[in-house]
Amino acid sequence: MEHAEAAKPIAKKKKPADDLKPKMTGQQLTQEVKDAILAIDKGPRVLKLYMDMCARCGTCAEVCPVYWGEPTELRNPAIRSDLVRSVFKKHKTTSGKLLGGLVGAKDYDGDIQKFVDAFYECTGCRRCATFCPMGIDNSVITRKGRAIADKLGYTPERLQRVIQISLETGNTDGANQAALKETVRFLEEEIKDDCGVDVKIPYDVVGADVFFVPPSGDLLVNPEAVMGIAKVFHKMGISWTLSSKAFDGANYGLFTGDDKSMKEDNKLYVEEAKRFGVKTMMMGECGHAHRIMKFIMEKAGWWGNLPFEITNVLQYTAKLVEDDALKFDKSKNPDPVTYHDPCNFGRSCGIIEEPRIIMKAACADFREMTPNRQYNWCCGGGGGLSAMDEILEFRMNVSGRKKLSQIDDTGAVFCAAPCSNCKRHLGQLMEYHKRDVEIGGVHDMVFRAIVL
Amino acid sequence: MTYLILGILPYFTVLIFIGAMVQRLYVWSKTPQPGAMTLTPAPDGESATFFGVIKDSFLFPGLFKSDRTLWIFAWFFHVTFALIIIGHIRVFTDFPRLWAALGINADRMSAVSGGTAGVIILACAIALFVRRFMLKRVREVSGVPDYFALLLILAVVVSGNIMRFDEHFDLAITRTYFQQLFTFSLSSASMPQNLLFTTHFLLGQVLIMIIPFSKIMHLGGIFFTQALIQKA
Repeated sequence: MEHAEAAKPIAKKKKPADDLKPKMTGQQLTQEVKDAILAIDKGPRVLKLYMDMCARCGTCAEVCPVYWGEPTELRNPAIRSDLVRSVFKKHKTTSGKLLGGLVGAKDYDGDIQKFVDAFYECTGCRRCATFCPMGIDNSVITRKGRAIADKLGYTPERLQRVIQISLETGNTDGANQAALKETVRFLEEEIKDDCGVDVKIPYDVVGADVFFVPPSGDLLVNPEAVMGIAKVFHKMGISWTLSSKAFDGANYGLFTGDDKSMKEDNKLYVEEAKRFGVKTMMMGECGHAHRIMKFIMEKAGWWGNLPFEITNVLQYTAKLVEDDALKFDKSKNPDPVTYHDPCNFGRSCGIIEEPRIIMKAACADFREMTPNRQYNWCCGGGGGLSAMDEILEFRMNVSGRKKLSQIDDTGAVFCAAPCSNCKRHLGQLMEYHKRDVEIGGVHDMVFRAIVL
Repeated sequence: MTYLILGILPYFTVLIFIGAMVQRLYVWSKTPQPGAMTLTPAPDGESATFFGVIKDSFLFPGLFKSDRTLWIFAWFFHVTFALIIIGHIRVFTDFPRLWAALGINADRMSAVSGGTAGVIILACAIALFVRRFMLKRVREVSGVPDYFALLLILAVVVSGNIMRFDEHFDLAITRTYFQQLFTFSLSSASMPQNLLFTTHFLLGQVLIMIIPFSKIMHLGGIFFTQALIQKA
């Protein structure tokens, strides 16, 4: 989409390296890592159980996209988790204290780089939890490992910068309000050119019913989904609004394990929703943003009782399709298309059938990947890895390999992935392996086929 | 030595097992869990969650879907293990009137079902053991405790099977022995004078004692871990 690149007036801020968190070293580092691991003894329950409960059956390795891509020992999820587990065992379990190495209990070896690299090779996709007979979710241990690394200044530089930029500008692309306004004008013109109808993309409307929160990538990089969503809102006559300050639900604190920045990044969105006085905060095509709003922030009550409900645009449009409220011209999408379940939508938000309902309504030839739904494989760029181009080779040749073969098998020429991280990674994957498959969102198909 | 194993150790076995088991389950239940860990699609509502946890803990559907071979060995291993434990009730006591009312020849039924279970669990345990070093992904995660637990179980199973298939063992003797043991009135004359029984019983006690301190503790923890991902 050339026009998308043209509509990308981003002011990326270059920062000197000394702006990053200082890296701790030596004896102090070893002690900090050890203390942080031993603190698991006090909770949360989920981690404390995971320190003891692994039956060493090898199932997680069997179903892990990274291990499938290239099975090295440290990519075996159980062994990666042992980086934390063995230290805990050494000091906090009877058998570990008595028998030490004999039962796999080891002190932390001080190799922080190995520790960081290993936990940034896990995409946090939770596929292991779906199949593990005990229900052990290795992504919880991964996030703990990353949280420990983050405190000591070892979060990969690229991700530290994304978080800095997001806290400073309200979005992970570092775009300012003027850029948002210009983008919106541009997208309105695009829609007008495309179908001749004046479809508005409103922002900062106090008194609107719906506050729509996309990932900023869907405005600045792949805007077709947002244009499709604008068409749906237009068709239904919905009173909705974007915020020119808060137009990116993406929140990388989930990936780095930094709860503090996750909460800080989230605050602006709830404040904006309250300022607009909306009834609904509707999240866009971004799985982890929806998970944080609906299943972490709202559930934990970070900001008390909310005067609005949180929904997702996939649920909204799917309901309209089921109610027969929308008309589509399927001949606009004649080619075979497929759907990739982003891990956060599929395994963490339960938004599984909705995108399929929409795709089947808007496309003539919808094909399922095998396996699909909650059993679908991760794209290979989950957990923030998609943003890290320093590990591009790893993503293209290891973590993304399974997804590549899955997409190949469908014969589709378009793969919908309602997640900016999946989109970026899959786009690179198709280009790297010279596949002629377009990557986009679910509402891209709506944009092309909806009859206004 | 025999007196130690048959007369004293059983009391410690029971105390250690129950004490440590209760302690571990209590600590888990008291450890705080802020936030839900729900894995979707999750069961809807409390009773659905309860049945979901039971289903996943007893049927291993994840394994069934991802690794059918392992599911066969693992599921039959656990099920025959449970049946064998239940079957051992006849070592302690018997219900002749119940058998008569049901018209069952208890000795025959026990020989057939117990013998079958003994063979199945032996085959499964061997398969699980071989699998540990045959498959790269399992070999990588296997350590001394994993091999040890399987070998210990194998030793218990083999000694038990020999008693059943080779030199038949009169259960009347153990019933008297256990009755006296339970009532703290054991006389040395009632202790089974059988090396095979003593070995089997000793190995069994070691197994029971290490459960709360080993990976076998998953028999209690699985309900916690399953509940964590299934609770909305």
